[in-house]
Amino acid sequence: MSKVSVEKILEIIAEANIVEDVKELDHNQALDEQGVDSLDLSGLLFNLEEEFGITIPDADIAGIQNINAIVAYVNTKI
Amino acid sequence: MIGIAQIGCYIPATKKSNVDLLDKFATNEAFLRDKIGVLKRAQKQPHETASDLCVQAMEDLKQRIEIDLDTIECCVVVTQNPDVKIPHTAAIVHGALGLAETCASFDISLGCSGYVYALAIVSAFMQAQGMSKGLLFTADPYSDIIDPNDKNTALIFGDAATVTLLDEQANLCAVGFDLGSKGADYKKLICENNQLSMNGRAVFNFTAAKVPISVTNLLRKLNLDKTQIKQWYFHQGSKYIVDTITKRLGLDPALVVFDMYQYGNTVSSSIPLLLSQDLAKLQVGDKILLSGFGVGLSWASTVLEQF
Repeated sequence: MSKVSVEKILEIIAEANIVEDVKELDHNQALDEQGVDSLDLSGLLFNLEEEFGITIPDADIAGIQNINAIVAYVNTKI
Repeated sequence: MIGIAQIGCYIPATKKSNVDLLDKFATNEAFLRDKIGVLKRAQKQPHETASDLCVQAMEDLKQRIEIDLDTIECCVVVTQNPDVKIPHTAAIVHGALGLAETCASFDISLGCSGYVYALAIVSAFMQAQGMSKGLLFTADPYSDIIDPNDKNTALIFGDAATVTLLDEQANLCAVGFDLGSKGADYKKLICENNQLSMNGRAVFNFTAAKVPISVTNLLRKLNLDKTQIKQWYFHQGSKYIVDTITKRLGLDPALVVFDMYQYGNTVSSSIPLLLSQDLAKLQVGDKILLSGFGVGLSWASTVLEQF
């Protein structure tokens, strides 16, 4: 069972205020294709690191471009 | 106490448009305005040097306040883009201005935290030496070290210089500092082979994590509450970073100064450029907070009070 849920990641995205409505996000589509720019993505990664006490190396970023990938990734790190 | 009497500024007249680079860097005007916060970058002439910019800032200072150069007892330049490797740029400025031979002159090698760091250093130095008047210059012409094809840096930095007249009779004085470094990450913002490179995410993470802590620690040390700060002056790294700090500290955005749209991130000059516009508005008892951060990686925060 996953320790971090999709809902928790969506909550963090909502708090970051980087999209109009998190409910509209496609969980399998890259965030940058859904209007999230590079700076907002950096901000989101920072919030994830802070929230879960993890470090996300630059080399891992290419593999966590959509919500489902983020959920899976965070669950491997905590 | 040593305080800030006046600030002179120089922003080169030549401006390079970021809007002209939208296609080159596959970005849009809203991103430039709302995230980077830079629509144009001030750019010096290729032959101009840091000392030339300092001399121009001095001309502006002389327009703002009557000043007898023979009374200046120290001349300090904050730069990491000196005219030459040897000698220090302060010596060149000293010569160009014809300052007295008894005037102490030296450089301080710091970037975006440099102005606040230098206020701490120079005011303490002047106090310890019994000096009355000093000139604190900032000039870091990054246009000499920017790769025009590097999206991480090409849209951000602009050239400028400032000079702050520090005077024992002035009434805007620093009442405390919080200074620090994370030298382990020095490579995240570095100039090698005369070319700047920046890991934007690493610098953002450093700033978002460290600056709010620096500000909070400083206020606690001074027994001050955020509501007692009239205005906030953060280094103008980008609009996104200033907005992030504002949000993380829970500040009223209306009290956080932001203005770099027409000239860019001017490194150690960004805070004094903004402060120069507001000096005349300060009332006795007003407190303002300044915080610079960047190269090093390093940070420096101070509270200034108008006595």
